[in-house]
Amino acid sequence: MEQLYLEATKTTPEVNFNPDTKTLSIKGQSYPENAFKYFEPLIKWLDEFIVQVEDGEQMQLELSLPYINTSSSKCIMMILEKFEEAVEKGKNIVVNWFYDEENESELECAMEFKEFADLEFNIIPNR
Amino acid sequence: MNKRLIEIQKMLGDSHILISFSGRFSQGIIQELGEAIKEHMKNEDNPKNKIYNVFSIFIEQTQNINNYFAIKKNDIINEEITSSAIVCIGKSKEDYFIWSGNLVNNSDVHPLNEQLNLIRSLNKDELKKLYKEQLKKDIQPGQNGAGMGLIDIARKSSLPIEYSFEERDKSFTFYELKAIV
Repeated sequence: MEQLYLEATKTTPEVNFNPDTKTLSIKGQSYPENAFKYFEPLIKWLDEFIVQVEDGEQMQLELSLPYINTSSSKCIMMILEKFEEAVEKGKNIVVNWFYDEENESELECAMEFKEFADLEFNIIPNR
Repeated sequence: MNKRLIEIQKMLGDSHILISFSGRFSQGIIQELGEAIKEHMKNEDNPKNKIYNVFSIFIEQTQNINNYFAIKKNDIINEEITSSAIVCIGKSKEDYFIWSGNLVNNSDVHPLNEQLNLIRSLNKDELKKLYKEQLKKDIQPGQNGAGMGLIDIARKSSLPIEYSFEERDKSFTFYELKAIV
C-alpha cells in the first residue's frame, strides 16, 4: 500500500494516507467550485485500497473539517458509505472526527455525520 | 458623474450593507469575499458559530448562483445572466443578512419557487430529514452541486428565508434570496 498525499489549498483539505498506521486523514476546510471533481480520485482510490486491507486489521479515518460546503458534505458521506460497506465485509474501521470546542456548529456537523453513518465514530475536541 | 459616491455610500448605509459585489463572480472572488466577511466578524467579536453560519450561507448562495450559470453556459444570452449577479452582506441590529440576486430564465421560476415554498414551510426537524435524504442520494453524472444549498441555508438561518421574483421581460426574472443569522 502506498502513501497518498494531497496538499491543502484555500478551498480543499489536506489528504494524507499513512500506510504504516493505515490512517487516512482529511484535514482542512472544503468548498471547491466542484467538490465531486476534487473527491472523485480519492473515492476511486479508496475502492482499490479497501480490498487490500485484511479482515480484522484496524484502519482509521481521521477527519478535521472546520468548514465544508454541502457538495463536500456529500462527498464525505460517500467516503463514509465506502467504509460502511467495508465494515459489512468484515473490515475493522474507526472514525475519529476532530472539532473546535469553541464552535458548536462544528460539533453539530460532526454529530450529524455520526448519526447518519453506521460506523464506530468518535467525536474529539481539538487541543 | 450623475451620482456622487457619497450618495451611494449613504444608500448602502441606509440598507445596512457592509460588503457588496455586483457583476460576474468567480470562485476566486467568492473566496476573497468569504474571507473578508469572516475577518470582519472576528474583529467585531462575534461567536464562532455565528461566523460559521454567515460564511456557510454566503458560500452556498454564491455557489448556487455560479452553478446555475454553469448550467446556462451554452445559452446565447449567457452574458446577460452571468453579469446580473449581486451579493450583499450586511448587519441590521444584531442580525447579519446575506442577500443575493440574479437573473433566471422565466422557465426556471416555477420549479425554483416551488422548492423555496417547500423549504420555507418546513421546521428544523423536517429540514434535517430532507437534508439527510439529499445527502444520501446518489449523484447524477455531470452534476455540479449537491442540490442541498437551499436546505442548508434554511437550516443555518435564524429566521425563515425570504425570496422574491420580479419578471423583467419575456425572457428573464430577477430572483432575490435573503437569509438572516
